[in-house]
Amino acid sequence: MISTFFINPFSQEAKKIVKANGDLNKIIEENERLLNIIEYTTGQILDDDSKIPGSLWELSIKRIEWYLEKKNRQRYQPGYYRFLFNPKIAKFDVITFHILAQAIGAKFNPNSRESRIFIESEGEIVKERILRIEHQIRDDIISKILRELLNCEKPHWIQLEKLLENRRIKLTELILNDGKVILDKSAPKRIQQIINPIRENIIPALIMQETQEYLHKVHEMAAKIEPHPILVELADKIQEKISQEFFIPKKTGPGTIKASKLDFDAFPPCIKNTMKGVKAGNRNDAIVLLLTSFLSYARLYPAVFKERKPHKVSDFDPTLNITLNEILPIIYEAADNCEPPLFQDDPQEKLNITAKLGFGLHETPKLENEGESKWYTPMSCEKIKIHLPILCKPDNLCEKIQNPLTYYNRKRWQKKKEKGDKDIPGSNTKR
Amino acid sequence: MFQEATPKDRKKYYTREWRIEKIPDFIRENIHLREFGFDHTGQGPNDRYKFFPNEKLLTKFIRYRAPYAAYSSVALYDRPWKREGWISSELVFDVDAKDIPVRPCKCDNVCEKCLDQAKEIVAMIIDTLEDDLGLEEIHIIYSGRGYHIRVLDPIILKSDSEVRSQILKYVIGGDVPRLSYTDFDGNIRNLDHFMVPLGYPKVFTERSRYIILHLNGDERIEDITRQTMNKILEYRNLIRADRWGEFKGIIGPMVYKRLIKGVAKLNLQLVDARVTVDLKRILRLPSSLHSKVSMICTHVDDLESFDPLRDAVPDFVKEKS
Repeated sequence: MISTFFINPFSQEAKKIVKANGDLNKIIEENERLLNIIEYTTGQILDDDSKIPGSLWELSIKRIEWYLEKKNRQRYQPGYYRFLFNPKIAKFDVITFHILAQAIGAKFNPNSRESRIFIESEGEIVKERILRIEHQIRDDIISKILRELLNCEKPHWIQLEKLLENRRIKLTELILNDGKVILDKSAPKRIQQIINPIRENIIPALIMQETQEYLHKVHEMAAKIEPHPILVELADKIQEKISQEFFIPKKTGPGTIKASKLDFDAFPPCIKNTMKGVKAGNRNDAIVLLLTSFLSYARLYPAVFKERKPHKVSDFDPTLNITLNEILPIIYEAADNCEPPLFQDDPQEKLNITAKLGFGLHETPKLENEGESKWYTPMSCEKIKIHLPILCKPDNLCEKIQNPLTYYNRKRWQKKKEKGDKDIPGSNTKR
Repeated sequence: MFQEATPKDRKKYYTREWRIEKIPDFIRENIHLREFGFDHTGQGPNDRYKFFPNEKLLTKFIRYRAPYAAYSSVALYDRPWKREGWISSELVFDVDAKDIPVRPCKCDNVCEKCLDQAKEIVAMIIDTLEDDLGLEEIHIIYSGRGYHIRVLDPIILKSDSEVRSQILKYVIGGDVPRLSYTDFDGNIRNLDHFMVPLGYPKVFTERSRYIILHLNGDERIEDITRQTMNKILEYRNLIRADRWGEFKGIIGPMVYKRLIKGVAKLNLQLVDARVTVDLKRILRLPSSLHSKVSMICTHVDDLESFDPLRDAVPDFVKEKS
């Protein structure tokens, strides 16, 4: 029988386990019982000792590593992580969840990349564990967990407000009646069929939400009480893992340009024209919509159109140093070059610039506000021609591309190729 | 009817007919926490950030200025004169008769028919707000060219824009329902929205029915050809009779999928979404004059019996006719 705390690390039972066994001084000790469970986990690949966590400390890191590997897919070998889905590991797992939350919450901002990855990883683990529960007992387990998380199986939808706010669920995906979300088995048979997936989907969302709130609490506490050194060390290790994942040299296709200092010579004509300053009428759109998105992506994530992966600014600039010290000053300078200077009569446009970078309507980007809005990708040449025709003075290269960012990548690529740069994959230069 | 009011008409209305008591209690009791805005020329509300500490000063201002249009915020603030210190916002749905995406009346502005249509849409939205979302304290205001639904249920007043946008999509059928289930063999199966008689699938089915039955054939539905549109019009009586399965069979499952996707987009136009998600919006002040059409923005006590052409017509219009 699966214990509910294998899915729900916030249950009363889970908390009791953590209280009784969560001695931080012991988490780096090798744990034979843990090793034994892993060894006898069906389907577990055991050919590489470095892949087997021998202590709670290592298990904590493996939890995050699993998620990063799974996300990356290219390297992911599920056979090395089967133990994460063995219910016998439940007690160890629940302790590692809390250790991780304490470490990450203490060291990082709740909206940081590290916090986000931890929350997402927890959601994914829960989803996968639910999927693996045997069909016969799944309903009972899910009912128990729902009662633990919501105190009932027919909550008022407002109880799920935070999940709606964070877009973890959609209201239109729920079955509502008189304000109640139908998650129990009282519904007619046909309805039951569609309620099952709702019941299963809402649990990871609720656990992610609780995890997020937990990180907030830990973070607040950490400001008052110094965290245990072992937690700080673990947080550093997690940060290192995550940074490796994001800045690992990936196999890139021709034309892929990595994040690096801005090369002003490679800017397309429309951007160069914007930087010189724009007259009222086109000024706001040129600075806020075109330049802000172009500069931020060109500096931090020039491969956005090639990889098509949604990212946040902090994925590439975790401390926001580059954003605050390199990107924004250029945007503000261009805004000052406008006629009349943009912020002189439109000071609120500063907020809009922050919003277009994904940090909501605030004076300057701050990690705690990240995610309040979307990080806008640069507008296409077609849109520029319609909305900002005055800036569009195409050159030869413009004819071959459809977005100013592609122009930038192509131009940089050409420049590097001309220099015989060895970093260009697939180029004719000798390695 | 629906003629623009002259400055003289406005003066007449505000001095002879208008009284502060006609502003609903839910606004009068917190006048000092709301931002007020005025349009004095017919160019839009550019006299904003107005603050009135009490009814007396508001009365004096309105009587004296006889504005082209008067507005008050849906939000309450600690410092309304700066729009700072946000306390809460009503949840609002704006159904404008002239913007209904399917208008068989084809009139240029508004007419009795499309005002009736707006009323029908309001009734549908209110049913969903009450029956599905369990919301209470819902007020209806006839705005002059349509209706405002203002929800004052305390559970919703602090909600953010994202939650409001999700409620909006729910009540107007803005998302195609995703209905899947796993059968006994573990295969994922899909259900059609019309097969589930409650919750959001039911709302979506009702709104879609409304749209399809009110199409006049000139509307553009994304990814739907003229030929398909003709077929939809030819067989839509099946939908009237709730025979959705047959209708789907006739127009073809792939076309049907495209149709409901397009209908969901039309559903989204049943209300002005910007009004619902904006926490700092100003709305026409109930009791004020909508000068563009010479009608009174009126609190509606009973939607069924409310007739704007009888209950929202100012005296100066009656006198003229």
